[in-house]
Parts: sequence; C-alpha cells; structure tokens
Amino acid sequence: MAIGALPVVCLAFLVVGGAYLVGSFYLPMGTVAHPGAGFFPLLVGTALVCLSVPLLIHSLKKKEIQKEEEAFPKGKDLYRVLGVALALIFFAVFLKPLGYGICSAALMVAVLRFLGLRSWMKTVLISILSTAISYYLFAFVLDVPLPRGFLFS
Amino acid sequence: MDSIQGLAYGFAVAFSGPNLLACFFGVLVGTLVGVLPGIGPIGAMALLIPSTFALGPTTALIMLAGIYYGAMYGGSTTSILVNVPGEAASVVTCIDGYQMARKGRAGAALAVSGVGSFVAGSLGIVALMFVAPPLAEAALKFGPPEYFSLTLVGLIFLSQLGRGSAIKSFLMVGFGLLLGTVGMEPISGLPRFTLGQLQLAQGVELVPVAMGLYGIGEVLMIAERITGMPQMIKVKFRELFPTVAEWKRAFPPMLRGAGAGFLIGLIPGPAAIISTFASYTLEKKISKHPEEFGQGAIEGVAGPESANNSATAGAMVPLLALGIPFAPATAMLLGALIIHGVQPGPLLMSQKPEIFWGVVASMYIGNLLLLILNLPLVGVFASILRLPQHLLMGLILLLCLVGTYSVNNSLLDIYILIGMGLVGYVLRKLKFDLAPVILGLVLGPMLEKTLRQSLFMCRGDVWSMILRPISAVLLLAGIAVIVLPHLRPLIKRKGKVSQ
Repeated sequence: MAIGALPVVCLAFLVVGGAYLVGSFYLPMGTVAHPGAGFFPLLVGTALVCLSVPLLIHSLKKKEIQKEEEAFPKGKDLYRVLGVALALIFFAVFLKPLGYGICSAALMVAVLRFLGLRSWMKTVLISILSTAISYYLFAFVLDVPLPRGFLFS
Repeated sequence: MDSIQGLAYGFAVAFSGPNLLACFFGVLVGTLVGVLPGIGPIGAMALLIPSTFALGPTTALIMLAGIYYGAMYGGSTTSILVNVPGEAASVVTCIDGYQMARKGRAGAALAVSGVGSFVAGSLGIVALMFVAPPLAEAALKFGPPEYFSLTLVGLIFLSQLGRGSAIKSFLMVGFGLLLGTVGMEPISGLPRFTLGQLQLAQGVELVPVAMGLYGIGEVLMIAERITGMPQMIKVKFRELFPTVAEWKRAFPPMLRGAGAGFLIGLIPGPAAIISTFASYTLEKKISKHPEEFGQGAIEGVAGPESANNSATAGAMVPLLALGIPFAPATAMLLGALIIHGVQPGPLLMSQKPEIFWGVVASMYIGNLLLLILNLPLVGVFASILRLPQHLLMGLILLLCLVGTYSVNNSLLDIYILIGMGLVGYVLRKLKFDLAPVILGLVLGPMLEKTLRQSLFMCRGDVWSMILRPISAVLLLAGIAVIVLPHLRPLIKRKGKVSQ
C-alpha cells in the first residue's frame, strides 16, 4: 500500500469541516458582542479545517503509516467485517418495508454465519428465538412500536 | 444539609424498593460488561438509557452509575483469568494478575482486586461526599465566562491525556462539537445543518452516537479477529483466600491506589484508565522488590484495581458539583440527566438533594453488592466468557438496533447508529481516541451557550472575559498542558548544550 487510509480519512474530515465552515456563513453571524447562530459553528469549522490540514500533510509521510494505523484486514477477516457491516445496512434499509421480524432474523442469521457458527440448524433456531424474545420484550413489555412490515400489518 | 444528614437522607432514598433494585441491576450489568471484553460501560450505559425513560431521574442515575463503577470490578476478572482486559481500565491488571494466575494464585489475585476495589471505592465515595458540596457552593459564584473556561479546559485536558496523538484527539473534539451543533440552535431556535431532514432538527442524539462508536464499532473490531473460546484458568472457591503475607503486601497499595485514583478522577480525561497506569508505575517505583513486577507481584494487582474504582468516585465530583462531565462515562450520566429533564449544575445538590445524596448512598450499597457478587460468584461471571462469540455479538447488535430505535421510534437514529459504528471502526483502526467525540457532543451546546452569554455579558470585550481571575487561571492551565510537552525536549537539549 503506497499510502495508508489515514490521508483518506483526514481528507474526509477536511471536506466535511470545510463544508460545515461554508455552511456556517449562511447562518446569522451576529457581532462579537452579540454573537448569532453561525458564530460558534464558524469557530468549530475553522478548528476542524486547521487541524485536518497538518494531520493530512503529516499522514502523507511514508514512515508514519505503520506508527499511526493498524493494518486493515485482508481476505477472510475482511469478509467477516464487511459481512456484518452489510447485514447492518440491510437491516436499516429494509426495516420499514419488511418489518422487524424478518430483518432481525436475517441479521442474526448473517452475523451468526459470518462469525463462525457452522450448524444451519442452530443458526435458524437461535435467530428465530432471539427475534421472538426481543420482539416480545420491546413491543409488548416496553411498548415500542416496532415496524411490522407489509406482511404482518 | 450537612454531610451526615445528607447521607442519612440519601440512604432513605437509596433503600426504597425501586432504587435498590435499580442499584442491583446496574452493578450486575456493570460486572457483566466489565467481564466481557468488547462491550464496555459506555456502550452498556447507552444501551440502557432508553429503558430508564419509565423510571424517575434518581432511579435512572443510580442504575447507570452502577454500570460505571460495576464495570471496574468485572474488568479484573477477565484480565486475571484470561489475560485479556475485560475493559480498558483493566489493561494493567493483565500484567501481574495473569502471572499470579499462572502460578496458581488466581484466587488471591481475584480476592485482592475485589477487596481493593471495595476499599478504594468506599474511600472514594467518602471523599466525594466531602469534596462535592463545598465545590458546588464555590461554583455558585461562577458566571458564564468561568463555565466556558472550565468546559474548554476540560476538553483540552481530555485531548492531551487521552491515548493517541493530541492533534488527532483535538480533531475528534471538533467532530463531536460539530455533531453537537446539528439541530435547533438553543437561543433563537433556528435549525442548523439539518440537511433538509426534519427529524434532524431535534439534534443528533447521544444514544445512537455512543452506541455506534462503542457498541457497533467494537463488534466490528471483534468480527475482524474472531477467535475460538478463550483459554481460562479455573479457580476454586477455597482458593480465594490470600495468605497473611499477601494481605500485608496488598494493603498499602490499595490505600495509595485509592488516594491517587480519586485525585486523578478529578482531572478531566479518561480517569479510570490513567489512574491504573499511574498506580502501577507508583507501586513499581517505591517497591522494595521491583524485579517481581511483571512476574506476578500482588502490588501490581492491588494498586491499579483500587485506583480505577476510586477514580470513578472522583470523576463523579465535577459531574454532581458543577454539572460538567470530564470523562466519557460521566458524560453519559449527564446525557441521561438531561434526557430526564434535570438541570445539572451547582444547584443540583440543594434543589434536587434526592438525586445527589441518593446516588452517593447508592454507591455505598452498590460497592457492597459488588463485593458479594464478585468474590463468591466470580466463577459464575467467568463462565459467561464461555458463551460463543457469535451469539454474544449477534445479541449485542440486535440490542443496539432495537435500543436505538426505541428512543425516538426513529429510523434516522438507526442510520446514525450504523454510520457511527462504521466511522468508529475506521477511526479505531487509525488509532483515533473516540472519547473526545462523546464529550464534544455532550459539552458542545454548553460550550456554545456559555461562550455567547459571556461575550454578550462583556459586550464583546474578549480580554475582560478571559481576564476574570478564575477564568484566567483555568485557561492558563489549559495552555500549559498544551505547551509543556513540547517544551520539555527543548529544555533538555539546552541543558545538554550548557553541560
């Protein structure tokens, strides 16, 4: 790897900080004696930009890569992380249309399989059980209106 | 109300049924998350804040505080038996604790850390009880400029004392402050940075951010290097009694740890973690046999495990007396208070004595409960480590998702949770300290409000704002903390040249 991931993250912070700084100018700034809504964001945005630039420059030096970051996983390790992350995103995207039951069972199946549970039998059993218990606990005991999805509504 | 009266009142509050139950539940959950590597007290507190909505603020705070100091007890168990820290404040305990366990003294190490935690925890609460009220009284004279300086200096200390480079930590403070400004602006009610999302007008909530960074982020880290079941050393109940010689060696470090821990707890920063390192270094330095450290010295277990407990009591002081949290865990407590509609600050003690004294008294009870839970039942908690990781991680994820959703019944919060989880994973890999994000988010609105009030008060005259005596001293301390580490090499170099 020629450059690490740190410069990318620094750049992201620079972009976000810059956009935030620009955004603060669209708010009423007020005066120093009577600061408005944009005053504090102006300071924070300036600080973000001023901090991410030197960090970006620093991170571009090659020898810093090993000191400043852990290696990102490769191969199977990477698939596990990505698998769990994708399962989470799937849960968020389909929670409203499919409902809590299907989404949480799917999430549990994915996580259990990705993290090394071999038996399909156990996977399905644990997923259904944990979904049922958590649904009962939150929807009935704690009165949270969990989305039911089109199948059950 | 003087301290004795206050404490008596506090016990009356803490011994009421729901509060006692909340205390027990809190320390139980605290011990559990302490034992389990991965999820720590901050994630657990975030997870349980939604479930406290139905309770009163006193009960909620008693429970959440129980998680905080309870985790300090549980953490040592995993460190000693598995050589993996149950949570960050027990890293040091691995060094000598695991060595003791390998030599067959696991029971002694567990007992010493349990008793040390109890002794130091209790001493810490005594100190808290006597330090907090006068501090709150003094703070009544604080105006917005003093509060602004105090908050700012707190954030600076945290960034300097945390792990990782200072500039990275400052960037994280900025990130937290940025998140804190999203939503309705406190003075005029103008929506800011909501990106056209109506729901964002309520602001970015603490629960999804904390749960994402500390819950989901940790699960992703564990998913990356998942291993089989940990190798654990077994302990029998009758092995739990240290010998007389071991007691004699362990007792002074407990007291020293208690003192050092409480003082460090008062300073802004991840107090519990720092206090363990400080105590370990101290014990090694004054020990008559420093060569034993690293080979299973009982002082190396007793000192740090005591220190992290009294540090939690110390960290409660600024929260309860000033309404300013200086550590991520107390920031969670403040967040919970605000959610419950309680105005934190120096008036809390006189206006809501049931909260202050109730929580203090519950901490005595909680420490006693923890001693009982952790010594005879240590095997039960340790057996939780035998639960397969995939099951545990799956359940944690599910709880994070439903828990977040239950706060506002909001899908947006789930997106924030997952987004923060991914961001937290990447930032962790790049060795960013995440505690400043939480503190920035919680303290941001306070920082902005006091800054704007101060400027208004001083008619825009920045100097007259800075030069108020208390304010000036605080800001000087903040500048010193930033500048001193850079000066040290310069001074050393000069010394060498003149020689």
